[in-house]
Amino acid sequence: MAATSTRTFRPSAGQRRLGAKLIGAVLSLAFVLVFNFFLFRVLPGDPAKNLTRNRLVPAEQVEVLRESFGLGRPLHEQFATYVKDTLSGDLGISYKFRRPVSEVIAERIWPTVLLLGLSTLLSTAIGLWIGIRGAWRRNSVFDRVSLGASLALYAMPEFWLGIMLLIAFGVGVGSFPGLFPTGGLSSPDTELASLAGVADVARHLFLPCLTLTLAYIAEYALVMRSSLLDELGEDYLTTARAKGLRDALVLRRHAVPNALLPTTTLIFLNLGFVVSGAITIETVFSWPGLGLLSYEALRTPDYPLLQGVFLLFSAAVIIANLLADLLYAYLDPRVRTG
Amino acid sequence: MVVLAALLALTAAPGVTAQEQPAGKLNFTVGIINDVDSLNPFIGILAETYEVWALMYDYLVGYSQKDFSPVPGLAESWEVSDDELTWTYKIRQGVKWSDGQPLTAKDAAYTFNRIMKGTFEQTNYGNYVSNIRTVEAPDDATLVMTTKEPSPTMLRLAVPILPEHVWKDIDEKEVSTFDNEKNAVGSGPFVLAERSTGQFVRLTANKEYWDGAPKIDEVVYRVFNNADAQLQALKKGEIDFADGLDPAPFNSLKDTEGITAVAGDYSGFDELAFNTGAALDSGEPIGDGHPALKDKRVRQAIAHAIDKQALVDRVLGGYGTPAAGVIPALYQNLTFQPADGEAYNFDLAEANRLLDEAGYKDSDGDKVREMPDGGRPLRFRLFARQESNTSQQSVQFMQGWLRDIGIATEVKVLEENRLTEIIGQGEFDMFEWGWVVEPDPDYQLSTFTCGSRSYKSGGDVLANLSDSFYCNPEYDKLYEQQKVTIDPAKRAEIVKQMQRMLYVDAPYVVTFYYDELQAYRSDRFAGFSAQPDPGGVVLFQYGTYSYRNIATPQATAAAGDEGGGVPLVPIAVGVAVVGAAGVLLALRRRSTQDERE
Repeated sequence: MAATSTRTFRPSAGQRRLGAKLIGAVLSLAFVLVFNFFLFRVLPGDPAKNLTRNRLVPAEQVEVLRESFGLGRPLHEQFATYVKDTLSGDLGISYKFRRPVSEVIAERIWPTVLLLGLSTLLSTAIGLWIGIRGAWRRNSVFDRVSLGASLALYAMPEFWLGIMLLIAFGVGVGSFPGLFPTGGLSSPDTELASLAGVADVARHLFLPCLTLTLAYIAEYALVMRSSLLDELGEDYLTTARAKGLRDALVLRRHAVPNALLPTTTLIFLNLGFVVSGAITIETVFSWPGLGLLSYEALRTPDYPLLQGVFLLFSAAVIIANLLADLLYAYLDPRVRTG
Repeated sequence: MVVLAALLALTAAPGVTAQEQPAGKLNFTVGIINDVDSLNPFIGILAETYEVWALMYDYLVGYSQKDFSPVPGLAESWEVSDDELTWTYKIRQGVKWSDGQPLTAKDAAYTFNRIMKGTFEQTNYGNYVSNIRTVEAPDDATLVMTTKEPSPTMLRLAVPILPEHVWKDIDEKEVSTFDNEKNAVGSGPFVLAERSTGQFVRLTANKEYWDGAPKIDEVVYRVFNNADAQLQALKKGEIDFADGLDPAPFNSLKDTEGITAVAGDYSGFDELAFNTGAALDSGEPIGDGHPALKDKRVRQAIAHAIDKQALVDRVLGGYGTPAAGVIPALYQNLTFQPADGEAYNFDLAEANRLLDEAGYKDSDGDKVREMPDGGRPLRFRLFARQESNTSQQSVQFMQGWLRDIGIATEVKVLEENRLTEIIGQGEFDMFEWGWVVEPDPDYQLSTFTCGSRSYKSGGDVLANLSDSFYCNPEYDKLYEQQKVTIDPAKRAEIVKQMQRMLYVDAPYVVTFYYDELQAYRSDRFAGFSAQPDPGGVVLFQYGTYSYRNIATPQATAAAGDEGGGVPLVPIAVGVAVVGAAGVLLALRRRSTQDERE
């Protein structure tokens, strides 16, 4: 009919939703950009003064340093420069390291992503498996043991668990030798881009990765277990069984996909923090990642570095949330139409 | 027992350690808690960084191992003209840069001129050149400097001499971001080999070094982000040296096989500081300090109420000594000891008597004294530092003693950054902090001059060096006088007189000189040199003595053997000296703060 002749573009509900989410993400990022600038300037401490404390630096020289950081100018001018530079991709020069912020961050980002990425992957896989098995065979020996262990690991402070593992496997107990290094990412004098280098990094990675994996398994296992238990009482599972489906199929095709929703949220929330790292574990194992870098930057306070690092952290969380939203729509049709 | 330890060290090296060691290379690995911030001598600021520069570069004049007195460095000898304004340094010949180029007086002249003409370059070294008028190198072996005023610091110029042929290509703009990590050219006993940010710095020995080739092949500084892991790494043998230890782990290391623990005399002190009347350098009053603390008699009474020995025993675990002057005891020629009659002995009755006499009485019976006019009670804000357990424990004790003499305190623990700001504004009554004092006393003494008080820049009040706002024209006169006195003995007299003045006027109650707690793998290395000798620290010194002397215990023993000594005696003596230092000085400890920055 008439509708066929003039067809204008009308976004579907899904597209509208996607558009709204994208705009929301961009707005959040813009807010963070502005907020960061003022947030860090509220911190106590004058960077020029802190960088020269207890050293032979005359007051005039501190002034020169302050000028070179651009801190002598009115705040609104500093802010204008900051926004202009950041939008053009220039994050400035770190006060403390005296190198471009982007360069300093680039050096530290891959150790963090490697450590957090790998441990998130492992803890998710293992945690979900434990949760599913535990719920399906509720009150079995496996369930009771794994639930107990999960709760115990969940309750342990991360740094304590890290130190214990470090002593047990890094230093060795009694005649049991320490198998792994006590910290760092690689040994001096090794070529990273060689087989020996990869093995060396793997050896260094083992303990921090193990700690983080153990610490996070519990979270995934517990959430997965309880959401699956919720589903197990539902009528549709009785229906599925009544159709004659085998137990394994009922679990895989019906119960798990529905129980996965809360877990997905958790995974993506955690994914957002892959970039910002686990500062406690980076501290225990002297892992040269971003978490530690931001701590060092706070002490100065190194405004450009803090701004750069927090912009990155916020971007990671915002993007992870955006992905979670999109994936949710795929996993749960109710979200798509609602 | 010490000999036994030495024997054990000779015979048994743990298997793990042996595996870590690449064949044929002798690596000395030092654990550090703060990463080296920058290898560019114009940028870095941390103590760890200065340690690395000392390995990479040479200085004109060094500090002796025995007592920090000036000793030849790149300058073989020096003389000063009769009017004390012209210094002529004879520069050592035959010294080569690590890239093979000869090092001459021209390089030294270039380095100083660059700092004097530069802006950014002055950040780290401005203080050293402020009194220098000209620097010239008439020939390759002579460096001539003229000064505006006579100055004893001309033998204390802690400026690393840089190669002109490298640094002339790095202009004023570039120098502020230059990392100096690739192919860094130096003349020191070690050459930078590799740097991995946040992880380690590796240096290889300069076997051509003019003052003798190091016996080890490499020095590696490995970054630990926490002291526990560092301690475990030392126990395991992943690192060979750790410092900045706390008393508890230090005590446990004393009994560990293969490890020697050293409580070394150190150049730091802690103090209880007063707001003696905050004002700007112009004299304009600022802040809201309690009026009672402007009265020297109140401060003196408080000095009588601080039990320094108790602080050393209970806060430092015995690793320190009670203090009086602001120049620590290890600078034997400069430190100040009050005579018997003038010392503030711990005496609460005396403190009470002094306060009564000065008219500060408790008139309303609430156990807190009031101002002589009967108004404001003596209720003081007392700040401690978040970063330091020592600081927090000290103020707890102080609070108790002050209560006993009718003074109420409100203790607050603050971050050092925040506290610095508060002090700069004069918005405090008392605080606990400390300083690390370098061998030349000028800087430390300058912190009590009127000109070091806070100043105004564009409407803002900014902190300078003074944190007690002490201002005494008499003191300033002496300060100017010591600044231009070249004769060490005469200068020392003035320096002591100034400390006496500070002691009597009491802007600070200097509480203790703390020890630096260090430990090393004595099963792998021997031959450490203490500075000052005896009793001092064995690494992180003013100089590179230990780095150049240490070798395997076997090598050290063998070297003694060739010299005709009885086998094992040299090392046993070496270990015994250090061990004895550890035992004798088992009364000491150092605080954990990072004042060295």
